[in-house]
Amino acid sequence: MIHINDFTFTYRESTDPVVRDINLHIPAGAFVGITGAAGSGKSTLTYAMNGIIPHCYPGDFYGSVTVGGLDTCETALTDISAVVGSVCQDIDSQFVASIVDDEMLYGLENFGVPHDEIEARVAEALDDMGIGSLRDRPIDSLSGGQKQKVAIASILALHPKVLVLDEPTAELDPASSVGVFELLARYARTHGTTVVVVEQKIALLSHYADMLVIVDGGRIRFADTPANVLAHSDELLAIGVNCPRSTTLMNRLAADGIYDGAVCRNVEEACTALDALVPQGALAESRVVA
Amino acid sequence: MTIEFRNVHASYDANIPILKGVSFTVEDGEFVAFVGTNGAGKSTTMRLVNGLLKPEEGEVLIDGVPTTELKTSELARRVGFLFQNPDNQICCNTVRDELLFSFKAIGALDADAERRVDEVIAEFNFNPDDDPFLLNRGTRQLLALASTIVVEPPVIVLDEPTTGLDFRECVKVMNIIRRLHQSGTTVIMVCHDMEVVADFANRVIVMSDGCVVDQGPTFEALRNRRTLQAASLVPPQIVDISLGLSMMRPDLDGTLIANANTLNEMEAAIAAAVGNPGAASSTPTYAPTAPGAEDALEEGGAR
Repeated sequence: MIHINDFTFTYRESTDPVVRDINLHIPAGAFVGITGAAGSGKSTLTYAMNGIIPHCYPGDFYGSVTVGGLDTCETALTDISAVVGSVCQDIDSQFVASIVDDEMLYGLENFGVPHDEIEARVAEALDDMGIGSLRDRPIDSLSGGQKQKVAIASILALHPKVLVLDEPTAELDPASSVGVFELLARYARTHGTTVVVVEQKIALLSHYADMLVIVDGGRIRFADTPANVLAHSDELLAIGVNCPRSTTLMNRLAADGIYDGAVCRNVEEACTALDALVPQGALAESRVVA
Repeated sequence: MTIEFRNVHASYDANIPILKGVSFTVEDGEFVAFVGTNGAGKSTTMRLVNGLLKPEEGEVLIDGVPTTELKTSELARRVGFLFQNPDNQICCNTVRDELLFSFKAIGALDADAERRVDEVIAEFNFNPDDDPFLLNRGTRQLLALASTIVVEPPVIVLDEPTTGLDFRECVKVMNIIRRLHQSGTTVIMVCHDMEVVADFANRVIVMSDGCVVDQGPTFEALRNRRTLQAASLVPPQIVDISLGLSMMRPDLDGTLIANANTLNEMEAAIAAAVGNPGAASSTPTYAPTAPGAEDALEEGGAR
């Protein structure tokens, strides 16, 4: 669905490329997580996928980026937007209306969705995000987390083939963050939506993504399954990317010579591995002394 | 400096109550984390601490004095406030002016202020002539923190200080906050990152639907699965593993595994349980560059 070939980009006001020699192929229906330190080029990669680069941010563009068969350099941004739905890092910059309902309608009407479909799409997207009760609220009366949910719902309602989200859970509480990732995973599984998420919450990416892409200094350092990437915990730490604590625990036990099983991506996998590792009938020295 | 909420009710719109009778006390020198879902009333509570919002019912007391009887400048000297979004508080054209503005705001711009600003610029390794609006997100957050603490308020209120920061930036910001706390500053923090809460806070107050539903020492609160579920929260991962294993394995009841809260505790407990207690010798390998590196987040922490 997304093919990035030998892509290097330098912003017009800059002298050095912000991303370089990027090759990344994302199949339809994949759930891809991108992470890396601040300034590593993550957001620039998303701008290349949704056509913001080169259409809004000019610069030196080498290589090619195609999304759904459309070459982003040769396709108008409006046509790219019909395929790719984007949620920005700065959600306030995304809103065009003052009421939640109007914000939901704006994209649907502009993309010419038939009027008899609109109500069902708005209701479904708001329900999916658990914010049906906010429909008539002024956007400026919402909390940061509620705004983030409205921004995501307004894009989900468009039913894009590709979803590109830049830190969509930054202001959400843990349960809401899990809810968003569950929903994105469901869209990938049941609708075949290709989902690309830039996120600092590595525990969520590790649990839900099919592919983890680690960006460092404008280059892709790793692009593989979460388990294969998390096996390189020391290298990740050296470039400022931390593993989930459950992964770190099991990696440490492996380094201690205690555990030799597969890399654990989350709490559930760690619990299963530890259940098998710890012998039945706990040792006396392991008991807490009252 | 003691902060006390007595049956506080507050709202932005009379038809939509936000706080519904909140009561708690934060003692001098504590590091308290407020956790809860979006819309639980955490940020509203913070705004009441420094007087940005006044209670409709009940009282907010700073060392026994109601905030309604204190001038804004008096409150600002007592309570520093770090907004979730640094762009909500940065207003000057250079880093140095931004830091000096904190003294102007409380009417204390003098030679001592200039000296203190120079100290903070050196401590944070800022370029004093940089334009704050051209700095990256993490550095703007650090600048906002610096301008909050430069006037040395006895209480600092932090609304999601690590949102949008990468791991290194998060470690840097939190280590600075920890050093402030160790030097006697009372810290009140709203935080969604339960690993950060586990690593730094001494006490946790859980909010849900405008009410305080639980409070207690950090790990006592974070191990209370029933309360966390009621507030739609998840425990930090090591606590989650400890609780999960305890449910799967009744024979582990009362063991170190069933009581481990940190990575080091769990590693040592597992090593002991498999009969190899000497094996757990690895230590965190991440060495942050921030001052107070020894106080870094645990490896595997912060998200």
